[in-house]
Amino acid sequence: MTSAESTENVVVRLDGVRKEYGESVALDGVSLEIQAGEAVAVMGPSGCGKSTLLNMIAGLDRPTAGSVTVHGEDLGTLNETGLALFRRRRIGMIFQFFNLIDDLPALDNVALAGQLTGTPAGQARRRALELLDELGIAQRRNAYPAVLSGGERQRVAVARALMNRPALLLADEPTGALDSHSGEQVMDLLIDLNQMGQTLLMVTHDKRLATRCASRLVEFTDGRVARETALERSA
Amino acid sequence: MSAVWRASRAAVRRRRLQTFVIGLVVLTSTVTLVVALGLMAAASAPFDDAFAQQRGSQLTVTYDASKVTDAQLTQAAHQPGVTDVAGPFAETVLTAPPNNMAPVPGVDNPPLGPIAFVGRADPGGPVDRVDVWSGRWVQRPGEVVVMRPPGETFARYEEVGSRLVLPGAPPLVIVGFASSLSQTAGAWVTPDQLAAMHPTTSQVLYRFAHAGSDTQVKADLAAVTAGLPQGSVLGSLEYLTVKWDLTNTANAYVPFLMAFGILGLLVAVLITANVVSGAVVSGYRHIGVLKALGFTPNQVVAVYLLMMLVPGVVGGTLGTLLGGVAAKPLLQMSFSGFNSGYIRPTLSPWVQLATLVGMPALVLLAALLPALRAHGLSAARAISAGSAPTAGRGLRVQRRLSGSRLPRSVSLGLGLPFARPWRTGLTMMSIVMGVLTVTLTTGLTNSVNVMMGSRDSSNWRVDSTFYVGDPSVPGQVSPELTDPQIEGMLRSLPGNGSVIAAAPVLVGLSGENQNVHAWFFRGSGWTAGSPVQLFKGRWAHGPDEAVVGSAFLHKRGLKLGSRVTVGLDGHQQAVTLVGEDGSGGPDELEAPWSTLTALVPEATAAGYVNQYWVHLAHGTDVNTYDAAAKAAEPSLQPSPAGGPNNIQVTVIGTATLLSILLGTVAALGVFNTVVLNARERRRDLGMLKSIGMTPRQVTAMMVTSMAALGAVGGLIGVPLGIAAHRVILPAMTNAVGLELPPSMLDVWHPGALTVVVLSGLAIAVLGALLPARSAARMTIAQVLRSE
Repeated sequence: MTSAESTENVVVRLDGVRKEYGESVALDGVSLEIQAGEAVAVMGPSGCGKSTLLNMIAGLDRPTAGSVTVHGEDLGTLNETGLALFRRRRIGMIFQFFNLIDDLPALDNVALAGQLTGTPAGQARRRALELLDELGIAQRRNAYPAVLSGGERQRVAVARALMNRPALLLADEPTGALDSHSGEQVMDLLIDLNQMGQTLLMVTHDKRLATRCASRLVEFTDGRVARETALERSA
Repeated sequence: MSAVWRASRAAVRRRRLQTFVIGLVVLTSTVTLVVALGLMAAASAPFDDAFAQQRGSQLTVTYDASKVTDAQLTQAAHQPGVTDVAGPFAETVLTAPPNNMAPVPGVDNPPLGPIAFVGRADPGGPVDRVDVWSGRWVQRPGEVVVMRPPGETFARYEEVGSRLVLPGAPPLVIVGFASSLSQTAGAWVTPDQLAAMHPTTSQVLYRFAHAGSDTQVKADLAAVTAGLPQGSVLGSLEYLTVKWDLTNTANAYVPFLMAFGILGLLVAVLITANVVSGAVVSGYRHIGVLKALGFTPNQVVAVYLLMMLVPGVVGGTLGTLLGGVAAKPLLQMSFSGFNSGYIRPTLSPWVQLATLVGMPALVLLAALLPALRAHGLSAARAISAGSAPTAGRGLRVQRRLSGSRLPRSVSLGLGLPFARPWRTGLTMMSIVMGVLTVTLTTGLTNSVNVMMGSRDSSNWRVDSTFYVGDPSVPGQVSPELTDPQIEGMLRSLPGNGSVIAAAPVLVGLSGENQNVHAWFFRGSGWTAGSPVQLFKGRWAHGPDEAVVGSAFLHKRGLKLGSRVTVGLDGHQQAVTLVGEDGSGGPDELEAPWSTLTALVPEATAAGYVNQYWVHLAHGTDVNTYDAAAKAAEPSLQPSPAGGPNNIQVTVIGTATLLSILLGTVAALGVFNTVVLNARERRRDLGMLKSIGMTPRQVTAMMVTSMAALGAVGGLIGVPLGIAAHRVILPAMTNAVGLELPPSMLDVWHPGALTVVVLSGLAIAVLGALLPARSAARMTIAQVLRSE
């Protein structure tokens, strides 16, 4: 791949990103690039800045210094509404604790992301059903989060993240709240998605998740990138 | 207990905003209640106390001395049920003429009109113990004691030692001022002096064993006059009439102030219950931690009650103090007027004691039910309970809304109230109370404006009033021009439309010791130009016709078509009451100029004119006209029209102020609910923002959730407000003896209705906007990671 091709394929670029919370430094001059179709795992001890990195890329938080560019958009130039629209179009997020809306059944939780973009309810529901079907939980579409298992909830959350065909899927400890069986299922799902071309950035403590799902491992220490390693996915 | 106190104090600190809201609500309702209860107490207690102290005359009867002898009257008074009698006292009526001369030091110029003189040797006795509050009682002929409210005189030269000069009587030296709550005379002289003044009537004062009601007093009157010659009774005055006279204005304010006080109380209870239940629900984890630490269920309840007691006590105390301050001017105004001074209204201590203890108690009661939920909650369940509502509640509604064509932020907002029906109910009731208040205020304002007459709707409006200079008032001089010259001058000035001369005169009413304030008008169009609205009948046109207010009729048991005889300067004129207006007091009467000239010569009548009402041609500048008139006759005091009267200012001003306060408080209730909702739903809000919900959409969602309640609250509150208006306004006007025509209540036109319906929406949106925007700006990164 030439340098120009490489630049065209860059989905995420962090350049000297620094984030301070009062006197505490969460990120200390982080520079990082993620290519389209990559699956990158970020690991490190608690408090090393992994989640802060994810928040910067999702536009949920702003850096104290440096710049974050995602899919060609410099997030520093966007206001709150611009960031919301950016997330809507470019980002899908998966959380450790799913963050589903308890009042809505699985189908409507997924469709919600589409409806926010102005997609009519019927069309959004059809797309949501397709996703739930692809993820193997279409039969649970009318169930509310309270009655779903952890694995099922995370699948619904993944479906919601994919609803608007994001350029980048961000996962924050996606298996952290799951039992091992459910965790395996989610890992398989993430591998499948990446193999279909979905760019993936995950933050995890789970070495197994990183080695199974990621093509590159970024290790963080004290808010800095300590080491980057290319990975061969294990079976 | 210290652990409970510490936990409560920490909870109050954590919920500063909610504590402030409760405190403010309690304060507002306390102020209103103190004023209402204070007026209610003052409307009866001071009169009753003073009347008992003076052994007031429960019935004062005036007899024709030519038809009945004193011996007959004394004999007739010996009836079972009569406990005390005073009199007969000889009586005569003299008239104080208009006086435009410069005041002479040492000579009293009493208010013009008839004065009833009574011959009494002694101010004491078994009935009507007259209070000589200045000087002494009359001891010899040539002396007079003048009836004045305690501590008050009416003119600069009215003082002990000055001379009272009246036609038909020798000059009398004022030796004292006295007050009789029973209103038995305008002045007292010795019996010898009165005999020299050619009395024509006799007065007897009675007290009875049973005189609690109008019916009883009327029966008593029948008993004491039963055996007397026909036509010997010229008139009678019941103490209930006097009491009504002195207290009716205060009584008029009581219903609407009570209504606002109760509304304030309801809102306070609703918001307190809402805040406490919200605090309990959102504080499940807090409750669980307290219990896990070893707090007993009762201690947990105590924590929550104590938490509410703080704003309850602070709001109640401040409200009681402020209510005392607010009540003072209203009490004074309510008891002001013709008969002011006989009652010194003060705020009863029990009112302040009641609110001081009652308001915090009420807050505690409102907090008790939700706090008991904390009592029954197990520690394990409390700790594990999430802040989000359990599945199943309002889910069908959410489901339907999610499939609707509405923007998703709107449909999500519409579904939010169904997640917490209890909280939604309480919030909606606050909004309903707010709308009810706004509706009631709008109705009262419209009705009072209609009652007082709308300047815009009148085809003859007063643009400027010119008062004739009164030399007894510092800075004013006597007019150089005569009455006809002044009127001619006003008519000749450019821009004049028309002029009415008004002569306010105190006239006697046959059979009554009290005078009546009569207004005589000269000039075409006075009827159309009257600043009040005619309720029934028509305006008076001839010398034998007059218009009065409902209160006049009510006080004397008269109706339209009745005839009364007015007297002035020794002349009598019978008039038929042909019209009933909206604002005439119980002792006011309006009549054409011809009625006055039937009583006194034209020249004397002209002396009574003290003001001219001018209606200007369209486009004329009132200030230019006033300046030209003032230049032509320097004694004239121009007063451009415009200012509403006291009743308008008080009723509309107070109602508007209370309405704004309660509307604000209702909005604060909404504010509080949105704060609670946003706090409970912070995880959902974070997630929604993470998937691309813009700040504007978040704001729209939160505001929509309350706007829906506002719209429904508006639809419920408006009919309730209209119903309250229909109950409260007649209660107010009944207190002053005014019978309302239906037009006074039918003041709801589409524009006014639209405004009041939208007020619910306004309360909800204004209350929700700030916390909704705050929720939209919430930092979500942290929220999404916490569980």
